[in-house]
Amino acid sequence: MNTGKEHHPSKKSTPAVESKGALLEIQDLHTHFHTPEGVVRALSGVDLRLNEGRTLGIVGESGCGKTVLALTILRLIPQPPGRIAKGKIFFQGVDLLSLDDKGIREIRGNKISMIFQEPMTSLNPVFTIGSQIEEVIALHQPHLATTRRQARDVTVQMLDMVGISSPGKRIDDYPHQLSGGMCQRIMIAMALACKPSLMIADEPTTALDVTTQAQILSLMKDLKDETGTSIILVTHDLGVVANSCDEVAVMYTGHVVEYAGIESIFASPLHPYTKGLMRSIPTIEARKRGEILHTIPGNVPMGKDVPQGCTFNNRCEEVMDICRKEYPPVFVPAEGHSVRCWRYRR
Amino acid sequence: MNPLLKIRGLKKTFPLTSGIFRKASGHITAVDGVDLDIFADETLGLVGESGCGKTTLSKIILALEEADAGSVLFDQTDIRKARGVELAKLRKGIQVVFQDPFGSLNPRKRVGSIIEEPMIIHNEGTKRERREKTRELMSMVGLHEDMLDRYPHEFSGGQRQRICIARALAVHPRLLICDEPVSALDVSIQAQVINLLVDLQKKLNLSYLFISHNLSVVGYISHRIAVMYKGRIVELSQADSLFSRPLHPYTKCLMEAVPEPVPGRAKGFGYVKKGEGGLSGSLTGCPYQPLCPQATELCSKESPRFEEKEQGHFVACHRAG
Repeated sequence: MNTGKEHHPSKKSTPAVESKGALLEIQDLHTHFHTPEGVVRALSGVDLRLNEGRTLGIVGESGCGKTVLALTILRLIPQPPGRIAKGKIFFQGVDLLSLDDKGIREIRGNKISMIFQEPMTSLNPVFTIGSQIEEVIALHQPHLATTRRQARDVTVQMLDMVGISSPGKRIDDYPHQLSGGMCQRIMIAMALACKPSLMIADEPTTALDVTTQAQILSLMKDLKDETGTSIILVTHDLGVVANSCDEVAVMYTGHVVEYAGIESIFASPLHPYTKGLMRSIPTIEARKRGEILHTIPGNVPMGKDVPQGCTFNNRCEEVMDICRKEYPPVFVPAEGHSVRCWRYRR
Repeated sequence: MNPLLKIRGLKKTFPLTSGIFRKASGHITAVDGVDLDIFADETLGLVGESGCGKTTLSKIILALEEADAGSVLFDQTDIRKARGVELAKLRKGIQVVFQDPFGSLNPRKRVGSIIEEPMIIHNEGTKRERREKTRELMSMVGLHEDMLDRYPHEFSGGQRQRICIARALAVHPRLLICDEPVSALDVSIQAQVINLLVDLQKKLNLSYLFISHNLSVVGYISHRIAVMYKGRIVELSQADSLFSRPLHPYTKCLMEAVPEPVPGRAKGFGYVKKGEGGLSGSLTGCPYQPLCPQATELCSKESPRFEEKEQGHFVACHRAG
């Protein structure tokens, strides 16, 4: 499947980015799960590149491998049943998959941190939020917190930074005393406590109201500008992507099927799956015109249901003969815009 | 024309308790004087953030929750006063589809008996007729009849939501309350379920109360939309005019907060204020006043009346118009 040069889609992104160098580079990454029903290929050959100070959006429906990708980067995949079968993840030049447990622990939370979808369940209910943030600081940045008083001061600063009002008082609150949006702010504070170079946010706003979502997204944007942290934003909401990402990778059955800069993917989506996703979004204009919503027939296939050839061929409107036989390699029909679809074979 | 469902002056408060003896320490007004009409064959969208009282309102309509004051007339019979046989009959006419398609199906029952259950409860038909009807319902919502003997875990989220819809339609309701029916689904599956709901409405002359926090979904499916904030309806209008000319500052805030799938359209979030607008006890003045960018002194003193500012466009705001 390796097609040489074409295999690294992001190498052809905008020139301004290239000069900054890659923070994270993923090459041919495979993660498999061994289940009684057989091997599930959650990731089957992912190539991605993220430059410093950029936000990469990863979109796709549930079951397409977005979260597995995020967890694989941090090596949080439970093994067994999971197994990182193949591939390389270069972070600041170091292959994360070659590190031992101690080595990866120094990266986790320190240089790469993660925000999960459900803020309420990600916090420990029996400790105050202050002690949970202090724990992160004491663990990863002990020089910042030689005394408890010092740790507390740093924590108050963190809370203030993420926009918690009266942080000196809130620091002694328990998670249940806070709303969902505030809990997510706490999670962001924890994630940023060690000034990571990369923050992975897995559906950070999915559980929140639209107004709270808007606040959290603009907070993440501001903090990114302030600290220069790169972000991987995993989401299924194309609206969120359009508002906060620089590049987008669309995933389907463990492959990145399309990768492009934000402008070009919304202006001219290439992969039939991406087009389908965009057309499924209901709008009031569509209703005025009396249109029936566009749908992608069927569901995301899992395990043994994944078809031969292109994995999207059973739901695709533009399917051709070759799609049923062979999985498409990466084609680059436009500068910085790559796609895995036979339609774009030159 | 008489509305199918007529809600007038509906109120519901919950006591707030504290300490191990559950001492009352105040109250939360979940529904605060709501007036709403739903007409036949109409979809009324209800939007608002979590905690604004949407679900409590729907539970009162379903007679699952007892209101403190006001009336809920379904087909000119008051649900709050109905008892026994009369209540059972009313309940048959109002069915519900919940948000979580995983939690709302009994995992130990086969899909066939799940869909059949409402018919058994309401004594409809013989066993054979019910089986026949179940098959009919399955194909109506786009499921294969052979799936009758499967268990819920064998279905995907979208298919489960179809099962929930089939179950709700089993006893020929006239009003279907859809409480966030597509929020748990992926966007392509969401579109399938929305199309199904639109299609069923035409076929079966159903009315929907469509509750959601997703404005684009509500805008697509609804004829009229009501915006709820802290237990009150603050704006009500035809879907088109609500989107083209929102009058209430809160509605504007909601619309601005929705991230549009158009890159480069940077969001100012001008209306999206920091601060937490949780439910609190009774306020004087407009409930949105602490967060409202247009608030004046009048807003903190006097509660605005819910008035018709334009043809068919109602709003409760001193500054609108």
